[in-house]
Amino acid sequence: MSQYFAGVDIGSTMTKVVIMNQSVLASVIGPTGPEHRKLANRVMEEALGKAKLPFEDITYVVATGYGRINVPFADKQITEISCHARGVAYLLPEARTVIDIGGQDSKGIKLKDGRAVDFVMNDKCAAGTGRFLEVAAEELGVKLEDMGKLSLEAKKAVSVSNTCTVFATHEVVTKLSKGAALPDIIAGLHEAIATRVYGMLRRLKIEREVALTGGGAKNIGLVRAMEAKLGFAVLVPPEPLLTGAIGAALLGKDIVKEAEEKGTTLARAERRLQEATLFT
Amino acid sequence: MSEEKKPEERKKRRTATEAASKIGPMVKASIGGTVQAREEGKPLAYSFICCCYDEIIRAMDVVPIWTENYAGVCGAKRDAQRFLERAESENFSRSLCTYALCGLGFDAWREELGEMPPEAPWGGQARPDMMLGSGQMLCDPRNKWYQAAQHYMPDVPIYDVGLPWPPYEDDYDYREVQDYYVKYIVRELKGLVKFLEKHTGKKMDWERLSGLVDLTDKTWNLIWEAYELRRAVPTPMGTGDAMNTMVPMVFMMGTQECYDYYKDLYDELKLKIANKEGVIPDEKYRLIWGGGLPSWFALSDFNYFNSKGAVFPVETTYRMIEATYNFDMDLSKISDPLEHIAWRWVKFWTYWHDKARKRPGSHPDVERLIKYIEDYKIDGIVMHEAFSCRSWHVGLIWQLNLLKKVYRDIPSLILESDIVDISSYNEVDTRAKIDAFIDTLEAVKR
Repeated sequence: MSQYFAGVDIGSTMTKVVIMNQSVLASVIGPTGPEHRKLANRVMEEALGKAKLPFEDITYVVATGYGRINVPFADKQITEISCHARGVAYLLPEARTVIDIGGQDSKGIKLKDGRAVDFVMNDKCAAGTGRFLEVAAEELGVKLEDMGKLSLEAKKAVSVSNTCTVFATHEVVTKLSKGAALPDIIAGLHEAIATRVYGMLRRLKIEREVALTGGGAKNIGLVRAMEAKLGFAVLVPPEPLLTGAIGAALLGKDIVKEAEEKGTTLARAERRLQEATLFT
Repeated sequence: MSEEKKPEERKKRRTATEAASKIGPMVKASIGGTVQAREEGKPLAYSFICCCYDEIIRAMDVVPIWTENYAGVCGAKRDAQRFLERAESENFSRSLCTYALCGLGFDAWREELGEMPPEAPWGGQARPDMMLGSGQMLCDPRNKWYQAAQHYMPDVPIYDVGLPWPPYEDDYDYREVQDYYVKYIVRELKGLVKFLEKHTGKKMDWERLSGLVDLTDKTWNLIWEAYELRRAVPTPMGTGDAMNTMVPMVFMMGTQECYDYYKDLYDELKLKIANKEGVIPDEKYRLIWGGGLPSWFALSDFNYFNSKGAVFPVETTYRMIEATYNFDMDLSKISDPLEHIAWRWVKFWTYWHDKARKRPGSHPDVERLIKYIEDYKIDGIVMHEAFSCRSWHVGLIWQLNLLKKVYRDIPSLILESDIVDISSYNEVDTRAKIDAFIDTLEAVKR
């Protein structure tokens, strides 16, 4: 009988669900909000619908991400560091370092034999995360998803403070009013994030190849800025947002395999989609 | 009004040792003791820890008010914010040392009221008769804090003790210059004695001082021996407890009470080891607290580490002693008490120099980490970047990188927060980082 594994990655901005057996059968990406987080089961239902599977058929569910404790139907919660490491090791086996630029944090992970052996994380400051760009996009009246392409039209990136999101947004508006070109400003914002992330990463010994994941990896301007800082090209998975969820599903698979090999019984959550009650 | 905010009620942290559980009442009694000493007219001095003058002030019957300690108590009781805000309203930057800010906020408030601020933690910090600052490398608040406090207490005199030590260079032997340092420190300490004699109206009892100096040597050795017992597997005491048991080491040195405390600790640890009683029953990961002062309001994070199977048998923070019999000189031959204190100081700070010179590219601080990693069978290193403590903060990452370069790769975790300022702390994020660190330790072990 086939085994199916689900990975649920509840990030601060986006919720991702993946269902796998030998490969990815279905995936869903949706925005995280208080309701979405509370109702992780709906996202799961959507993924199950896409995979044409009843929930009872899912062998093991692993939740990860910022909101992982809010997934009552998960069999296990695993940190996003481990899940990203596993996901990258599967998607890009040549990678030795992972840079994950998420909505509200950024991380660097060192990989060895497909596992995280060291990491750094910035969760103190919005500068260096997707939130920095989100706030700036709003201030500039540009869609977040257009920022990357627009920045590629830059002639010369405008230097932007990389120390504080709030003040940086004031700075870009001022620069815009003084006549700086929009693409130049956006390129400057990408450079600011890349500088911040690179500074954090230097705590790890950066080893090639380097994989870039998370929402930041979907922004071509930020990818280029990161590459400029590193001095070489980075690897980007086909859907960078799904890396953690894929890793979660794979870790679930590993756990089941190990239990089967050892002949141990795994504790599993009830196969019933239910709402988290944390916020009620 | 922020000044009327009540502190957040906290449960008492669970300790592994009896010795650590005694500390809260001891600190409370010590702080209460200073208020009582004020009423009794005894001379009181604002004092800093690790300033060489423990035995001197004890011999002169000067009651120390440990200002860093009081700020830490305010932090631990989660009641520092109102004092920090008070200091900010006095135009001190929030990025300064938050011990100093908390103390300055408290002083400004106490001096304005002419009495303790309302509901001051543990009865409040008494007004001093004098302030004993010190100049030591990066920790500039040791010079500047009391100068700033003098704005509120212009009648309270200050004596600043310069306490340098030979910096490490890999191409020279500190012994070439150590005599100059000792001479300088002795001169500074003589000045301190004169200052105390002037302001207490009392003469130094040199014989008594010599006795206290000997007692301090004995206490240093005993502490070292007690702490080395923590090498045992399972370790009988972790850093969470050591952040309590350091109290007599830094606030009561040169007293019989301090010696007796560590004798009790030694006996307790011996017994625990004999009974194979560890901090937790099933140690999975042994960690070193490799630098940085702790967040006094979040010591329960150590219990969180414990809940994940991790223990801290050793730390560099607040291990402010070495076994004096391991020094490269016989301290007992230095009979002059001030010279003795000066030599002990210089030998403590140069203790790891020789080891560093033997390993190309290394540094004494890194050698200390390496020695502890090996002696205590350490799997990973945790450091804390307390944003407001520059003397610890600066160099932590550098040390970590150097450790990995000259020794080996070792899983590491950098926690980021502060010593006193709770607004810099996020429990959820901190614990998410700890979870991820535990994952990496597990991955490395596999």
